[in-house]
Amino acid sequence: MKTPYEQLEVADLASDSEIKQAYLQKVKLNPPDRDHEKFQQIHSAYEAIKNVTSREKYALFNYPEADFDALLDQAFSNAQPALMSADDFEKLLRASIDDKTFLIGNPKKTTV
Amino acid sequence: MKQTPVTTSKSSDPDISVLESQALSKKNAGQYKDAIDLYKSLLKRANNTEWREALAQCYLQRALAFAAKGMVKEALVLWENYARNAEPPHKARDHYISWLLQTNDMTKVKTCLGQLSAQQLDEHYPELAGLLGLLIITGKVSCQDMLPKDSIFMIHLGFVQEALSAYRNNKLEDIEPALKKLPFRSAFRDFRTLMKAALLIPESVEQAQALLTKIPADSPYQQAGVLLLAITHGGATLVNDLLQLTAPQIKIIKEAKNLNKKQIELLDVLTKQKDRLSDKLKFNLTIQYQALFGADLAQHYCLAALSPYPAGQRDFTKHFGALNDFEAWRLKALICERDRDFNGAEYYWQQGITVLKKQSAESALKIALIMRHIAEYQESPEEAITWLIDSLDHDPDDRESYVKILQYYERQEQETDAFKEWLDKSIKKFPNDVEMLGLAIKAATRNKAFKKATQYAQALLKIDPVNTFAKQVLFTSHLAHARKLIKSKKFHLVEKEIQQAEKIAIGKRCQTQAQLMRGFFVYAGEDKKRGEQLITETMQKYNGGVFNVHFYVFMEALLLNLPMAPLLKTLPPLEKNYLLSQQEIIQLTQLIQQYADDDSANQTHLHKALEKVKVIIKHSLKQSLSEETLLTLCQCLDNIRHFELLRACVKIARPLWNKPIWMYYRVYAEANGNPAKCSGINRYRLQDGLKNAQEQNDQRATALIGKFLDQYYESHKPPSFNFFDALFGGSDDDEDSIDELFGHLPEDLFEQLERKTIEITKKNPPERMLKILAADYLSNNVTMMRDLFNDPVALFAFLMLKAADELGIDIGVTAKEIVECFNDQKAPSKPKSFPFF
Repeated sequence: MKTPYEQLEVADLASDSEIKQAYLQKVKLNPPDRDHEKFQQIHSAYEAIKNVTSREKYALFNYPEADFDALLDQAFSNAQPALMSADDFEKLLRASIDDKTFLIGNPKKTTV
Repeated sequence: MKQTPVTTSKSSDPDISVLESQALSKKNAGQYKDAIDLYKSLLKRANNTEWREALAQCYLQRALAFAAKGMVKEALVLWENYARNAEPPHKARDHYISWLLQTNDMTKVKTCLGQLSAQQLDEHYPELAGLLGLLIITGKVSCQDMLPKDSIFMIHLGFVQEALSAYRNNKLEDIEPALKKLPFRSAFRDFRTLMKAALLIPESVEQAQALLTKIPADSPYQQAGVLLLAITHGGATLVNDLLQLTAPQIKIIKEAKNLNKKQIELLDVLTKQKDRLSDKLKFNLTIQYQALFGADLAQHYCLAALSPYPAGQRDFTKHFGALNDFEAWRLKALICERDRDFNGAEYYWQQGITVLKKQSAESALKIALIMRHIAEYQESPEEAITWLIDSLDHDPDDRESYVKILQYYERQEQETDAFKEWLDKSIKKFPNDVEMLGLAIKAATRNKAFKKATQYAQALLKIDPVNTFAKQVLFTSHLAHARKLIKSKKFHLVEKEIQQAEKIAIGKRCQTQAQLMRGFFVYAGEDKKRGEQLITETMQKYNGGVFNVHFYVFMEALLLNLPMAPLLKTLPPLEKNYLLSQQEIIQLTQLIQQYADDDSANQTHLHKALEKVKVIIKHSLKQSLSEETLLTLCQCLDNIRHFELLRACVKIARPLWNKPIWMYYRVYAEANGNPAKCSGINRYRLQDGLKNAQEQNDQRATALIGKFLDQYYESHKPPSFNFFDALFGGSDDDEDSIDELFGHLPEDLFEQLERKTIEITKKNPPERMLKILAADYLSNNVTMMRDLFNDPVALFAFLMLKAADELGIDIGVTAKEIVECFNDQKAPSKPKSFPFF
């Protein structure tokens, strides 16, 4: 679950005007008639941090979320794939098949 | 394999006919096992071709059904039975071969493949061809020599090997031309997609991902696609992908991703423990792999994870240091809120506020926000308002708090000085605030301070010139002022007031009101005859019918304290058996509402006027009226709390309509609007009504019934029964004392102390216990001891204090406060025994 700051892609210490600008930019890219749910998320994020009072409220009354996925994102963020060699490719093909049954991971269709 | 069929004509034996019919019926019903048995027994009696063919079909269907369940060996046997009984060409031979592959029966595989024609491989068995292609490429099965040399499959296999060879020899430019030779219908089309995607990594990961989505779910290359897709992923998505894969597959992806040692180590733990990833394990992994996660993120996670895994507190402090005092209280408060323990939350927030108060002035906003936050979950509005008022000491410019405070005082039955005080404060603070001005106007009108109301309405119209509410108020205020002037005989000022009202009259009804007022003014202050004439003329223009004309004039005369009889005589006579039309009832409803909205009138006036005409109204209700008309009248009568007429309306409506709102009005009117007087049976009726209203999505009825039921339960609440009652057979006073002393403590802390008191009393015999308490808290004062310890509730309070002291918790209660609390109460006449001893 992203924080309002992450949703609007602004720094934790961003000013009112920076937040508003980021909000308007996001709304421009995600107008309510295109994806209403997305727009609502952006709007809620803006409402949560639009001024000093709302930011203070957000900081006070939001329990930090224990998001293990966020940790994994960080831990494996640099896990970029390298150029795939022919050897790796063939290994991958072989690994897709169960050696004992030659099953491919999905049951074969059995209708005639 | 197939036995030579001997066609025999069907027997005329009645037993055989029955058997045959049963077998067919079982076959048609999909009960193939039973059908097989029946056909077998038929075939024992005669070798009939039709029966044999039917038997074969049953075997085939059973084979397919077993394969679908993954029981490939059984499927193979059944298919072979099918083949023995059916004429070639045999159906589902491709399935049979793939089952043979799955059971690794290579001898039979090779035999079967050797029997395949090029057409079968290329056209009839595309799925088998796809599977064979993958098995040959990967070297899992070496069967290309058995396949028909003239097949397109073999040509395409050549192209694939050409592409793979170019890939191995790093001649990437030769791959694309080789792959291009594979047409869309090729058995290797998904191989082409897969290879193209692999070549796009790492430069165009998104394009590769898009390509991989094109591999169908039933393709043999689908799993390879999943593996390649995992390679394109990072972060949590990659880990979640890996958790779905086998160990050899994970190994390949780890290698392809160039993961470092620590990453591999973490992945190993995650994949091994994938079904046992508890809060504790995640917390410990976060601390162990801080370097991978980043210290800030790890600290943030562990802090949040303390809620589901509080035992991690010590490790948290060890690795990240202790939380600052405020943060510690804040988190405790939020945990309590999450568990809906609002008393606990309030206690912890208060501790937080105490910490903040010692800090710089910058904490003022925080303090105010916390106080407003606490106010939100107060059950008692008084408590909530106290918090809001306190919050303004720290952040005095919060408009919302002012509005809430004003709204609270406005709702009080009797206007208090506090409301006036807060209204003055608010208007001073927010002179141009539409909502504040609106509240000020209402208050001034209610107090008959028309001049003030006019000033506020004018101020409001300056900010919002089209504000209908302000206009209406100004109009009503002018008329009410005119009425006041007439009553006090200041006739020289009345005309000006009426003219001002006319200037802002909104709609025809307002004009009629102003003209009628002029008539009354002339009648009372200038010329009775001319006044009567003006009143009559105005009423002639008013199309409300004779009844409403009388009611109108009656109400105005009543409000002006004028004798009614002479005025009513000037109007067309109102017969006793007069019947109001539906339209007249609608206008009467509007008229009642008009006076109900006019704060200068009151319900007594309306009730007095209605008393005179209620017989006519009741009589008129018996006509056929629309449900909507009657419902609007009911709402209006509810507003002025005229339950007699409301009951009359309900009596008419109930047999005609069954909306839940009618049940509500029935019960409401029967109880004269007082939930305490509502009977048990009516409570059940309302509960039924509430259910119906919710089912019908009737929000108004749901809200009204829900509110009334809440008030019913509140007024029928049995005397409280809680821990202390049970423990001491205590009275409300007992509970009040404990609540007064310890009510601020969170539930968990209270329970902890309670447990400790039991521990203390078990550890010490009664006399020794009393001595300890007396020494610790009463300076061994014997008189005080006798008075207080004879009261078990007081004794319990001291035990709680002792428990807190032994646990080293400051609960904010002193011995002096306990003494004061119980000295204020009369000591019980007869000592009760303390249950712990």
